[in-house]
Parts: sequence; structure tokens; C-alpha cells
Amino acid sequence: MNRETAWRVFAGEYNESNLEVSDGGERSPSFLVTPLGARINRLFVVGVLTDIENVGTEQGPMWRARITDPTGTFHVYAGQYQPVAAAVLSKMKPPVFAAVAGKSRVYKPDEGTTYVSIRPEIVKPVEAYLRDYWVLESCQSLKRRLEAAREAYKMNPPTEAELRKLGVSAGLSAGLVKAVGHYGKVDLSRYSSMLAESVRYLLPEFRESAPPETVTIAPPEKVIEKKVVATADDKTEDEVLILIASLDKDSKGASWDAILEGAKKIKVDKEKLEETINSLLDKGLVYEPVLGRMKKI
Amino acid sequence: MAEEVAPHAKDISRALGGKVSEKEIENELNNYLNVYRVSLDTAKRSIVRKHGGNPADLAMGVSKTIKDLIAGEQSVDLLCRVVSVDGRQIDVEGGAKDILYGILGDQTGTVPYTAWVTEGLSLHKGDVIRIRNAYTKEFRGQVQVNFGNRTSIAKESPDALPPYDPGKSAPPTGKPTPLKVIDLREGTSNIALTVRVLDVEKKQVAVNGDAKIVFSGVLADETGKVKFSAWKDFGLSKGDIILIEGGYVKVWRGIPQLSFDERSKVSKLEATALPPTEELEKSPRVWIEDLAERGGAVDVAVRGIIIDIKEGSGLVYRCPECKRVLRKMACRIHGEVQGTADLRVKAVVDDGSGALIAVFGRELTEGLLGKTLEKCIEEAKESMSQEVVRDQLADILVAQPVEVRGNVTIDDYGLMMIVESAKILKVDVEQEARAMLEELEGLEDTA
Repeated sequence: MNRETAWRVFAGEYNESNLEVSDGGERSPSFLVTPLGARINRLFVVGVLTDIENVGTEQGPMWRARITDPTGTFHVYAGQYQPVAAAVLSKMKPPVFAAVAGKSRVYKPDEGTTYVSIRPEIVKPVEAYLRDYWVLESCQSLKRRLEAAREAYKMNPPTEAELRKLGVSAGLSAGLVKAVGHYGKVDLSRYSSMLAESVRYLLPEFRESAPPETVTIAPPEKVIEKKVVATADDKTEDEVLILIASLDKDSKGASWDAILEGAKKIKVDKEKLEETINSLLDKGLVYEPVLGRMKKI
Repeated sequence: MAEEVAPHAKDISRALGGKVSEKEIENELNNYLNVYRVSLDTAKRSIVRKHGGNPADLAMGVSKTIKDLIAGEQSVDLLCRVVSVDGRQIDVEGGAKDILYGILGDQTGTVPYTAWVTEGLSLHKGDVIRIRNAYTKEFRGQVQVNFGNRTSIAKESPDALPPYDPGKSAPPTGKPTPLKVIDLREGTSNIALTVRVLDVEKKQVAVNGDAKIVFSGVLADETGKVKFSAWKDFGLSKGDIILIEGGYVKVWRGIPQLSFDERSKVSKLEATALPPTEELEKSPRVWIEDLAERGGAVDVAVRGIIIDIKEGSGLVYRCPECKRVLRKMACRIHGEVQGTADLRVKAVVDDGSGALIAVFGRELTEGLLGKTLEKCIEEAKESMSQEVVRDQLADILVAQPVEVRGNVTIDDYGLMMIVESAKILKVDVEQEARAMLEELEGLEDTA
């Protein structure tokens, strides 16, 4: 009996999945098949834990955590049957880099609706390096699937034997045949841009503003000096970022009204502010812990 | 047709319940064989069918030597020696099933076999057996003999099979299959393999009570390494590049190993036929998925992330008799004993293609923890718990990218690596990402 592989897959691909398969037999594991043919029973993800909430009761807690990667958000649920993971999760203070190894879960409340999540086996706070390492691994993994999918789409219909001949692994060949049967030929450009975006995410030259660490560590005067070379947009983003951080007094995030008020003082109008915050959200420099509140990561 | 027709006529008559006389069948059989020149097997089956019988009732197949076997024989008889026998459980519809497998040999060659029905079947290494009604199939490009429901096996006296005489007969089987080390699998036989000898040692071993000389060591090509046993002195020395023709692969202690003897041909090649020794000595980096397919490997490197630390890691106590790890201070063989302290880690290393259990011994574990066994014992006493060391290891190792190197074995619990050396993996993520982006952009340009 081989242990199930922990797939490296981006949230953007994982969350698009709605095909659950089993090899048959009562005790055989079930797999979530992604549009690109990853057959996932177990997965390993590293991202930013942005919020954690008890969606159960005081007596029977069920922790729901959101973990974001450059492409989207994983939902992680841990309850009484995952005591170790639940204990670790409940003590974590977002935002924090977290690694999770766990089982894929599929919930279909009604026909046509699928929610996928992760039931964690291991949760651990980690450092930024591991997040970057994981993004790199996930890029490599996505690239292999993309290449295999391109080959599969040339076949009519794709078969495991033909894919194996091209050097595609046994597991992926089986998954791809299932995926094509269920999802059909999906638009691969969506995944190739996901790949390119994620690779760029790792490169400083594609980060449009200074990394958030520099901003927090450096005293304000220095930050301002630095902004001489920055573009106008970068300047606004940095200012808004500092504003959000300074307004976040109870560490529950800064309220929208307060940010708007503060923005007026630094001569950023409402439209510009919204645009800036959207950009910050996209870059993963801020997030919205609850509706109407912004928090710096 | 060298074979006696009479016993086959008898067989056909029996299959038909005696409703046609043996004499009549013998004539008919001769007609098929000598006039129409069909194979004995086809002839027998056709006659039975013609007279309204069921060919499956035939007890006797066609006697063949291993060299003459082709894939797709329906019913074949063999007189051969059991070269090796192993058992295994496989998953089939309706539950688990025991099978036996190994290698058969006669004076003409060797062939892998599988016994799908093991009830009442007892095979031992060295037995000379007469197999009736076996069938053959092609598996991974090779002929394989299968024993099914209809197959019967009888033990013969050891001298029923003439001993192999290298002076008289030709080398075994047809043309050897050219393969690379990475392609070697349990049961592969009659191969042509070009390798460099990385290590060779002369040893005396006892085989069935007789002292034998064996030359064993490690061979390598650019795809990997393999252990070998040569049962004849081929004059091998370290650094030689050789072409081995013949030989077979058998799993020994969970790793495929190559064996060859006087039936194989070994020739020395130019020193330039393969990369230099230093190059081949490096442990090739492999995917765990491929290791599972190969069924273990010698000295490979795996890059992955430790995603779990198994029970029984950290500070353990071993039985002084058998070295087994004690549970609740008792050995499962020797009962309650005074255990000897040791350190080890059983970690799940996952590379995204597969997972294996990596076992780190005391020295490596001390290195990872940055403290000695003695210090660990002290800390465990202070905190009144053995688990404290495991928790520390989990803190250090879980979610840690590593490169581990060692031999990988496979058994019912999956893949296991006995780690020879390990390092915490520090990858220049930016550099790798940049290289990947260049590749992606290159693709776009050509598209």
C-alpha cells in the first residue's frame, strides 16, 4: 500500500474541480480530479492564513481557516476529528504563513453546486521562504499538467496508453483521461496565464511596490525618501498601506470610514482610494478580515 | 516430430471420455502433424473439438524447453528447475490473493513465472519440477510463464534435468534485450546491459549447504546503480566497463538485484563507452513515483518536503537481543527486557509525485537535533516523557524541504529509504523562477 501523494496544486485549479472519483471498492480512497487531471486525495499547501473562525459551537468547535496563494483561497476545516490540527489552527494569529497537509474534501449541497475544502492532518506556521518554495513547486507541477493536457487535447479521445508513451506519469495519465471525459477540453490559456502570473509573483522585478516588510520596518522618514524614485501610483499605495496599518489599532483591521477620512488628509480622493485598495488586495498586501475592514498583511 | 505421439493420443482419448479409440486418434494426430503440419497443441485441440469434446480437458500440453517458449502459448509443459521463489499478496476483485512468483531455469535458459493459484502448491528453490498445462504471456516485453487453474506441478528427482553444460549448448534464449539500469525490474531476464563496475568483492557463501564463490558489488550506467551477484569469476575489477548478456533480476532485501553466471556472456568494452566513474558514482535524482514503479533502487537522491513524522520517531529503546524497538518497554519477541537507548526519525518525505518513509539513524538524528543521545535521555527524564524528543524533531522537520540519499526498498507498507545522508534544501527560488519564466516566454515566442 503506497501512501497517497500530497499534490502541489494552486487554489485557482483546486477550486475549479467538481469531479469526485473512486477506484470502486468499499475501502478505496476517493479522489478529486482537477480540470488538468491532478487526482487529489491528499494535498500540501503553503500560503497566507488570512483568517480563522470558529463556525461550530463553543463545545464542539469547527475551525474554518482561509489560506491564500497567488491564485486564490483554500478553505480549511478542522473539528473534533482533527484534534492536533484544530489545536494548532485555533492558536494561530493571522496573518501568518501556514503550511497545511491534508485530505481533499468535496461537499455537494445540491446538483450543480460543489464546494471543495481541505481537512488538515498537519498545520504549521512557517516562514516566507517556504511559501516561495511551495509556489515554485506548484508552478513546476502545474507546468507538467499543462503540457500533458496540451498533448491529451491533440488525441481523440485521449488514452492512458498514448499519454504514457509520451512520458506522462501513470497517475496523471489516468487523471487526465477522467478530466477530459468530465470537463471536456477546458480553456488552457486560463491556466497558462495562472502559471506565468505565479512565476512572476516570485520575482522582485514584477512586484510593483516595495515588499511590505520594508515598509513596516523602516521609520516613516526613510520610506518617504525612498518614494522619490517610485512612481506616483506606488507612492499612493505605500501611503495607503501605512494609513491602513496606522488605523488598525485593535488589530481587527481599519474601518472603511476611517480609511476614507485619513485618505482625504493625504489628498487621495475616494475614487483613487478604491483603485489603490483594489490593487493592494490583488497584490496580497492587504485583505478584508470582515466586510468593511482592511488589514495589512 | 521428435516427440512421441502415443502419450498425446492417449491424452486426447481421455479428454473425449474414451469414445474414440486411441489407435484412430493416433492416425488422425499423425495426419494433422505430418500432412497438415500444424503445431501439436493446435492439432490436439482441433481433434478434441472435432469429436465434440472440450479442449480444456486435455491434461498434457506440449513439452518445450525454455528457449523455445513464445508468448501466447495456451498449454505448455516444462521440465525445469526453480531458480527462485517469492510470495506476495495482490489486490484483486473480491479481496486479497496470494501469488507465488520467481524464475525457472532449464539447460536452455531462464524465464520468469507467476503462480496464480497457490493452494496446495509448494515450490522450493532448487526443486526440479514438471509443469503441465502452463500458459505464457508477454509482460514488459518478455515471455512469462503462468500457472493457472488447469496447471499441474509435480516434483521430479533432481537428476531428471540434465545439469547445464556450458561446453556443449548455446547461450540461453534468443537475443538478449538491451536495457538500461533504470529499466531493470523483478523477473527481467536475458538482458544486454552496458555498465561500469563501481565496486566488486569476492565472497564465499553457502548455497544449499555447499560453499560457493560469488563476486558481488555495484554496477552503474548513466541512469542509475544496481547491485549484482556474479556466480562465476569473470575477472571483474573496479572501473571496468562491461557488456553483460544474459542474467536475471531478482528482488533481494526489497531491492532489484542483477544475477549472472556461466550461462551469461560478459565482455569488456572501451573505457570511453560510459561516463567516468566519478560521474556514475553520484546518486541520480529521481521522482518517488518512478521508485514505486521500479520497486526500489540503490543509492538514489530524492528531493521533497517532510510532511509528517511517524510514531516511533525520536528517543526509542531497542531490545538488546534483536534490536527491535520496544513498545511499552517490552520486545514483541523477547518480552520485558532492559532496552538500549537509540535515536531515529521515521519521516514522510513527499515530492508531489509520491511519498516514502525516510529512516534516519542515530548519527543523522543527532545532527538534525544538534544534540547527543545522552542529552536527549536527560531531557526526556526531566520532562518525564519520551515524546519530548519527537516533538522537537517535528518542530524542526515538518514542512522542511530536504534532499535525502540512500537505498530505497519496497514492501507491503510502501517505499522506505534508509537515509545515508540528508541535507536541508535551500533553493534559490528567484533564480529557478527566472529560468522558468524564460522558458515560458520562449514557448510563447515560438507559438
